Amino acid sequence: MPASLINIGQSGAAAARSSLEVTAQNIANAQTEGYVRRRLDQQEVSSRGTVGDFTSGTFNGVRIGGVYRPETPLLLSQMRSSNSSLSQASAELDALKTSELSLEQSGLYEALVEFEASFAQLESDPLDASLRSNTLEQGRNLAGTFQLAHSSLQEGGDFLRQDAQNTLGEINQLAQDLAKLNNSLTRSEPNTGGHAVLLDSRDNLLKELSGRIGITPSFTPLGVVNVELSGGSGGALVTGTNAGTMTASANGDGTLAFALDGASVSPASGRIAGQASALSAQAGLLSDLDALAASTISILNTAQASGSAPDGSTGQPFFSGTGAGDIGIALADGSGIATAPAGAGANSLNTGNLASLRSALANGGPAAQADSILFELSSTVRNRDTARAALETIAQSAQSSLSAATEVDLDEEAANLIRFQQSFQASGRVIQVANDLFDTILGIR
Amino acid sequence: MIAAPNSTSSFYARSLGQMAALRGAAEGLQGQIATGERLERGSDDPIASSRLRALARQERLAEIDEGKANSASLSLESASSAMEDMSDLIIRARELAVQAASDSTGEAGREAIATEIDELRVQLLDLANLTDTSGRSLFGGVNPSPAYVTDASGTVSYAGSANVDTVEVGLGIEVERGLTGPDVLSFEAGGASTDVFAFLSAFTADLRGTTAADPAAAARDALAGFDNALDSMNRSQTVLGARLAWIDNVQFSASIRGETRSEEQSELGDVDLTEAITQLQQTLTVLEASQASFTRLSSLSLFDSI
Repeated sequence: MPASLINIGQSGAAAARSSLEVTAQNIANAQTEGYVRRRLDQQEVSSRGTVGDFTSGTFNGVRIGGVYRPETPLLLSQMRSSNSSLSQASAELDALKTSELSLEQSGLYEALVEFEASFAQLESDPLDASLRSNTLEQGRNLAGTFQLAHSSLQEGGDFLRQDAQNTLGEINQLAQDLAKLNNSLTRSEPNTGGHAVLLDSRDNLLKELSGRIGITPSFTPLGVVNVELSGGSGGALVTGTNAGTMTASANGDGTLAFALDGASVSPASGRIAGQASALSAQAGLLSDLDALAASTISILNTAQASGSAPDGSTGQPFFSGTGAGDIGIALADGSGIATAPAGAGANSLNTGNLASLRSALANGGPAAQADSILFELSSTVRNRDTARAALETIAQSAQSSLSAATEVDLDEEAANLIRFQQSFQASGRVIQVANDLFDTILGIR
Repeated sequence: MIAAPNSTSSFYARSLGQMAALRGAAEGLQGQIATGERLERGSDDPIASSRLRALARQERLAEIDEGKANSASLSLESASSAMEDMSDLIIRARELAVQAASDSTGEAGREAIATEIDELRVQLLDLANLTDTSGRSLFGGVNPSPAYVTDASGTVSYAGSANVDTVEVGLGIEVERGLTGPDVLSFEAGGASTDVFAFLSAFTADLRGTTAADPAAAARDALAGFDNALDSMNRSQTVLGARLAWIDNVQFSASIRGETRSEEQSELGDVDLTEAITQLQQTLTVLEASQASFTRLSSLSLFDSI
């Protein structure tokens, strides 16, 4: 009997010591990213013997069951999907803000107004050489501004495409890491510390992946994960120990076409989806800018063609080029500006042609178009900003529910520390009592 | 297994996030106060930004209109003062005509009068061909050449255009920049239309007796023509005066419009300092309170009691 008591005390002390170790491990990892707190599973050990109607049982102490790691599949999947949406919105918003900045800082609207103003000024004295040169220089300035806006938008696009390729590289790397991890998971024993470490890294990798692309993971009882892309097109990114490879190719307008193992896919969310939609917004902006430049060129050149220059000749084109990228000044100098209507004769002070040009520039002309492009863009940025703030709140609350359910609470661990210490001391006491009992029995004379 | 109500790292992350948000808000307000501008970029308030762009454009164009109104006023004033000088010359010619009409003025006297009137005619031609500060003819309409040209036989004829160009002086209102020569210098004499130059050369010819048998009677007849010339001049003066007053009027309206515009600009784009400073103070108070409560909360640890 006393030997059994010693064994029980010893098993209790061992269990309490293991629990203390787990608590120490939890405290040490309180700040570790993605660490899920562990608990030790304990089971009672007792044996029972039955002979006929007679049943007898003996107690054999406690057994350490295994390392218990709380599984929170719902919270994890909420965290992943809100993370995907937030990354998508952030990537798109960042790119849109860059476009907004490049368009606003290029000073396109101001240059258009100055150009228009120079014609208004010219009307006061249409033959004045310095006013004519001023108008031509404002035109040159406008052409330069168009090119600046165009090239900075294109640079933004190049940067975005490069960034999207980097994101794809990270996605492929993460997919391969997950496949390797799946391999390790199949070889490790469940409910051990080693297995829990692997599950932590699995959830970390899935979180990283969900920030980059929308995914729908599914798990086997062993913890092995298979990853499908979320959204209509689907596609298996990770199947067991096999990882797919995502690629992207640029379309003619600068947008990207994605493929997974050669099959065309369209990412539904995640940073890559944000980058893709930012690229298509960029393509739209570039074409708007081109249309604006083309309409400016056409208004000026049409007006020139229907007027006559101070030397009595028909006006020659003001601008060369067809869009924002190649707009330039075609007139050699200010004396080529056709202010007078056709047939007005040389050195006419008649400003009829100038007046019709001014009304074409003023009423729904380039300045108004530029304003509507800027307005549309800044409204989009504003709306996306609001949407992103909402997504951020959702993502934060998902993350904090997950943290509350899985991460380490130091106060709880402090309480556990005391609890397991007491339980260790109590088990030690049991051994001492057994020893005393043994001594008592030996001392009988 | 009881779920922990609060994990330590999420407590720190949450507190940090809240304080960072407050700090960001305080810095945004501070930026607004420092720059005096409410909108840093278009997306801060797309509608106000678009309105501000439209206002800036209107302001730029209004500036130019103001310059043009000033130059139109100047042209009209130059024309008006040239016409006053012309009136003086015609009045002088009429006085001479009255002298010539007297039978007591002898042939030599009339010759002297004719010579002086010829001189007056040359001065009138000079005045009619005056240009404004930017070099355009005051009475020649839109043609670049002088308003009146003298041919080989000494006949003066109008070479300008039939119409005067208009100039925008603000609020989309256009004003004619001057008057054409015929508006000012042509009139009815003896039932026929003529101009000052033709009238004066015919008159001097009469005085010298080359075309009229009785120069004194011819001079008496011509007095009515001089009166008509002065009438025409006065009418034109009135027209110019009315235009100048109109430009003043338009400029006044434009300046009121400009004030309204700046008011709207300031309303849309400027920071209300009182409001911003109050908000900043409020944000800072909340920030300080949350920093203090964070320090106290984070010092609560069971480990201190072990």
